[in-house]
Amino acid sequence: MAIECLVLGAGQEVGKSCVVVTIGGKRVMFDCGMHMGYHDDRHYPDFARALAAWGAPDFTTAISCVVITHFHMDHIGALPYFTEVCGYHGPIYMTYPTKALAPFMLEDYRKVTMGQRGEEKQYSYEDILRCMKKVTPMDLKQTVQVDKDLVIRAYYAGHVIGAAMIYAKVGDAAMVYTGDYNMTPDRHLGAAQIDRLKLDVLITESTYAKSIRDSKPAREREFLKAVHKCVSGGGKVLIPTFALGRAQELCMLLDDYWERMGLKVPIYFSAGLTIQANVYYKMLIGWTSQKIKDSHTVHNPFDFKHVCHFERSFINNPGPCVLFATPGMITGGFSLEAFKKWAPSEKNLVTLPGYCVSGTIGHKLMCGKPTRVDYEDTHIDVRCQIHQLAFSPHTDSKGIMDLTEFLSPKNVILVHGEKPQMAFLKERIESELGMPCYYPGNNESVSIPTTQNLKMSATERFITGCAVEQGKRSLHKRNLIYGTGLSEEIGSDEAAGEGVLLMQKHKSPKILCEDELLEVLGMGRHLVQFEPMVSRIVAAVESELQRAKAADLDNDGK
Amino acid sequence: MGDPHPLSSAHLTAAASSAREHRGPTNERLAASDPSTSFAKRPRVAAEPSDSGGCVPCVEADVRALVSVSGGIYPLARAGALRGLTAVLEKVDTSSCVSAAITDCCYKCAVELMRDDDNGVRLAVVRLVDACARNISARLDFDANGYGDLMDMIFLQLSSMARDMCTQVRMEAFAALGKMQRVSEGVLLQSLEKKVMKTDRMGVSIINGQKLPPKLKIPCAAGIFSHGVEDEFYEVRRTACKSLGALAKFSTQYTEKALDLLMDMMNDDTEAVRLQALEALFSMATYGCLSVQEKHMHMFLGLLVDANVLIRDAARKIFGLVNMPKLQIFKSAVDGLVTSLEKYPEEEDIYGIMFSIGKNHGSFSANIAKHLAKEITMASDGELILDKPRVKALLIVSISAPFSDDKHKQLGIPSIIFSYAIPLLEKISCALGEVDQDSLLSYLYHKGGMPFWENRSVSAEFGESESCNVETVKIGAHIENTAKEAKCLDEVLVMKSILEIVEGVWTMRMSCNVCEVRTIFRTCKEELRLLAENSSGSIGALLSFLSEYLDAILFIVEIWQLIQLDKPYTCGLTSLDILLERLDMSVRRMKYCYIGLNRVLEVQVLELSLIAHLCRLSKIAVCSKVVLGKVLWVINRLEDLCADGSCELSDFSGEIKKACDTNRIGDNLIGNINNLFQLFHLKPTTDFGMLKVISAMLRVCDNDSENPLQYICGLPVGVSFKISLWNISGHHRLWLRMTIGESVQHTFLEFSRFEGNDEVMSGSMVVPLYATPKTCSFVLRVCLVMECPSAGISTHQGGHGGPSDCVVQLSDELNVYFVSASQW
Repeated sequence: MAIECLVLGAGQEVGKSCVVVTIGGKRVMFDCGMHMGYHDDRHYPDFARALAAWGAPDFTTAISCVVITHFHMDHIGALPYFTEVCGYHGPIYMTYPTKALAPFMLEDYRKVTMGQRGEEKQYSYEDILRCMKKVTPMDLKQTVQVDKDLVIRAYYAGHVIGAAMIYAKVGDAAMVYTGDYNMTPDRHLGAAQIDRLKLDVLITESTYAKSIRDSKPAREREFLKAVHKCVSGGGKVLIPTFALGRAQELCMLLDDYWERMGLKVPIYFSAGLTIQANVYYKMLIGWTSQKIKDSHTVHNPFDFKHVCHFERSFINNPGPCVLFATPGMITGGFSLEAFKKWAPSEKNLVTLPGYCVSGTIGHKLMCGKPTRVDYEDTHIDVRCQIHQLAFSPHTDSKGIMDLTEFLSPKNVILVHGEKPQMAFLKERIESELGMPCYYPGNNESVSIPTTQNLKMSATERFITGCAVEQGKRSLHKRNLIYGTGLSEEIGSDEAAGEGVLLMQKHKSPKILCEDELLEVLGMGRHLVQFEPMVSRIVAAVESELQRAKAADLDNDGK
Repeated sequence: MGDPHPLSSAHLTAAASSAREHRGPTNERLAASDPSTSFAKRPRVAAEPSDSGGCVPCVEADVRALVSVSGGIYPLARAGALRGLTAVLEKVDTSSCVSAAITDCCYKCAVELMRDDDNGVRLAVVRLVDACARNISARLDFDANGYGDLMDMIFLQLSSMARDMCTQVRMEAFAALGKMQRVSEGVLLQSLEKKVMKTDRMGVSIINGQKLPPKLKIPCAAGIFSHGVEDEFYEVRRTACKSLGALAKFSTQYTEKALDLLMDMMNDDTEAVRLQALEALFSMATYGCLSVQEKHMHMFLGLLVDANVLIRDAARKIFGLVNMPKLQIFKSAVDGLVTSLEKYPEEEDIYGIMFSIGKNHGSFSANIAKHLAKEITMASDGELILDKPRVKALLIVSISAPFSDDKHKQLGIPSIIFSYAIPLLEKISCALGEVDQDSLLSYLYHKGGMPFWENRSVSAEFGESESCNVETVKIGAHIENTAKEAKCLDEVLVMKSILEIVEGVWTMRMSCNVCEVRTIFRTCKEELRLLAENSSGSIGALLSFLSEYLDAILFIVEIWQLIQLDKPYTCGLTSLDILLERLDMSVRRMKYCYIGLNRVLEVQVLELSLIAHLCRLSKIAVCSKVVLGKVLWVINRLEDLCADGSCELSDFSGEIKKACDTNRIGDNLIGNINNLFQLFHLKPTTDFGMLKVISAMLRVCDNDSENPLQYICGLPVGVSFKISLWNISGHHRLWLRMTIGESVQHTFLEFSRFEGNDEVMSGSMVVPLYATPKTCSFVLRVCLVMECPSAGISTHQGGHGGPSDCVVQLSDELNVYFVSASQW
């Protein structure tokens, strides 16, 4: 039986992450995201096509469970659509923080795109609430028995609060789906952490398949320098972010810097969304980094001294300020509104996340520095400074390689990246780590052979015999060490034991010694003798005895 | 080679025979035993027949057993076996030929378990590899056998372990990396850069002619210290910084790149990591490897004014050792230190750092000296002030130039610099440390171009100065002693003079009016008060006693005048009653509030008591049994005091005694009051004894008319008192008297819990006030009183809760203000 990986989204692209893995007869959907760069049929994964391919009457019977790795839109954005429009009513798993924060993310995006033309298959706020009620939360390293055979477990992924890497196991087949993860810790989140597992396949993100970043302290210094330079020159800083995760990290960095430098420039959070989300962060302190956990008993690390609430009228206020606004890629909402107001001024600064989806304003700004940007029916003059943030919560290529080596799976599948970089990473994985690697496109599937373990028992005599043989080899090696020095043979203690494999009907296979075979089978021992050879046998025996006596005499002499 | 072979065969034969023998009879027992145990037993059995002695076979057996166990199925057993191998390696002598084989065996065992599933096993692997590396690097034939590649491989393997998911494993791996030696420069440089460096040699690293396994290639170890300094746990970051500093001594190029990583750690949010980074920089500086670049100066200068004192201290130490390649960097450093000095002027070790910096950069110091000389020359009088920190710092930097290693150069420090540096002699000598002040002073004068001092001996000059100082000290001491003696004499003379005045006043009491007497006595009391302000102990007590004595005499004079004027048989409370009461109080205070009264003083006090009683009898004009009883008691006491013959009863006392003996009723006593007064005389004395005054002080914290205590009408309220007692002993009975209008409440004072000795005791006490008035506010008057013991006749009924007899007040009356809680 093979592991079948069908990539419905984030295959050779970033967006609408969705991978359906058929493992041990169980079909598991990992992530159910949307693509924020499209507003047509490409917005959601092609669920209908997958259903037709499976030949099942509906999604509930086709899929054993859905597991969401974290609350970003490209990983959870299609879930309400999948449950309330497509009609899936099976189990849904995600971590506690993801379940707590997902409604805010979904509702925030829904409001932003409500006015978009072409949104025909949108879900409502009531749909979001109904969807969330079907979710079963899970904790880190908690083993969840989905049904009789399927077991899943969540591991810490970093990236954002509540993000998890998912381990799934059916029988002897095992796999890990990373979702988005970070091998470098933030100030408020730790690095990805997972046990050593015996895996048949690892499905990993490859957002930065070709990038290797500088050390984090250096990147922090560059960011602080850029912001400080802007506000000291009287400019405004626009930091488009997703509401959760990145905003906390940058705010923590800026708040600490403001304190050390004695700056009085206000730092704003737009609307009540992020401020409300901070309340959840305080509740979920156990999911953050070591520093946050250590200090939160004496000081609330998320009570930023220099952060205040932002009123929409402040957007036209003179003087410097720092504004966190959503969404992160300036696809709409307040970040776009602020960008329109502030982009024409040379004093101002816009910081962009490390990666922007194609089609968004952020992506256009990153491809060189345009002097004007056309967005829908609006023309925006861009004269402000642009600083690309080096604080991506995704791991870089070295992190991907390090995790892959740590887990050492038999196969690797790359998702959530761009095709040319994925090809590059595939070559590296296959040449340096020596394991097969695939990067399928959307609606493509990969078939992975799995391990088939056969359980069998061994008799006590067989085990004892192996132990005796082991002891003999140890003696031999000791003499080699003492007499002749180094030998390559020393390094390997593994050796094959000789025995008989007995397979019978209606019984489990058994390994036993050669002597035991007759007893088990219940057969008698037959001895055949040839009369003309008796004299020769006797002579041979006598000769052997004489030789043994001679050896004994030599020993006595020494 | 023929000899070893038979021995080996014999051992094998013996082992085989042993196995065969045991197989039959003990088959069941052997089968039931644990496989690990079986492994451990084999080598010991085989080792017994061995003829060779010493510990080598034992070590071999241990290694063999542990290697076998390390291949077992139980993680704890594997980890324990690896720890055992580490212990064996630490004991083995590295010069022995056997240790090489043992080390190699252990190393191969560790390599196999580097990818173990268990965290504990991997942790033990790191420690074992660390021990192997130390043994290998200590070998005498290290270079000959080409172990360099092996050390590089071990470094890379430890680097891959430093990317482990377990925090403990990462920490141990970074610590092990810091102890590595003889690692090639290329491998060290790669550990700082995440991107793989393209070099042919690195790509084709080999060991024993074989290509490296795919999993142990360089990429996994690339940039391991970059990963270390950005780890989530500060323990790992701290260890990484420490190792970065330790490895700096092997490569200058490595140090330059490591400096970038360490400088970025100054923004770390954990103080321990920042301090460790500074310590690593200090270590680099001590090896002479640290050369500061311009891009680092901003961070360095920020450290000099950091809010944390430890950070500042560490940064300054680094500056004292660091190499600055450019003059601009040197000037920035000096300016930074000056800024730090202005901000934290108490940290004067900065001057030492300034001197070190100047000494290490002679030419730069000379440059500063020239500019400073120009500045001094161009400044008009008073414009350049030497007490500015900046000028002091620049002077110290300037004079350090001649001490630098560039002595062969003619630096040409202007002589004016040394002249202006002379007032800073103390700071300079502290900065130098080992240089003698005298030599330094002579040097500065010489450099300053002052020929006048060349012809004089510095030591002679110093000797003269010292002699003069000694004389001054002696004179001062003498003057002080004289002043003290004069002060004592003054007090004695004043007291004698006052007593003479009082005696004169009493003699002339008939011819003087009360106003004149009161004026004289008030002047005497003022004199006593002035003396008492500067006195303490026995003198102070005596002055206080004398002041009380004067009060009593004054009261007697006033009473006598009133008696002469008033008609007999007057009823009701009058001023005479008040004066009598005050006289009684004054006499009681003299009697009971002073410890150490000698016989003469006690006799005088008792006679004053007799006068007081006679005055009261005269007021009443009838016989009073109570008063007569008191008179008799005093007479008896006086007789006891004079029994030993040291003094005699005065005429006054004797006459009273006769009257009492003759007529028990006392009629004669009343009739002869006028005569008795004529007999009374004051007797001045110079024998004062050693007096101690009993007193007390009462205080309530944070209470005055503007800060009243709250209470609820009708309910008890607790008042917290702070009480100080002087010369109180255990047999004294003290009471706290609290008065509200006409209502009085007494509370016994239990001072055994107070702290202190017999002279001074202090403590606090919460006293409940039970009957609070039903009013919005009131004032509570509180004072400490002491019972007068053994008065002879009790005038109070016992058992009603207060003191059993008359009392004497020890402290001033204290007002405690209360307000009802409902008022707020």
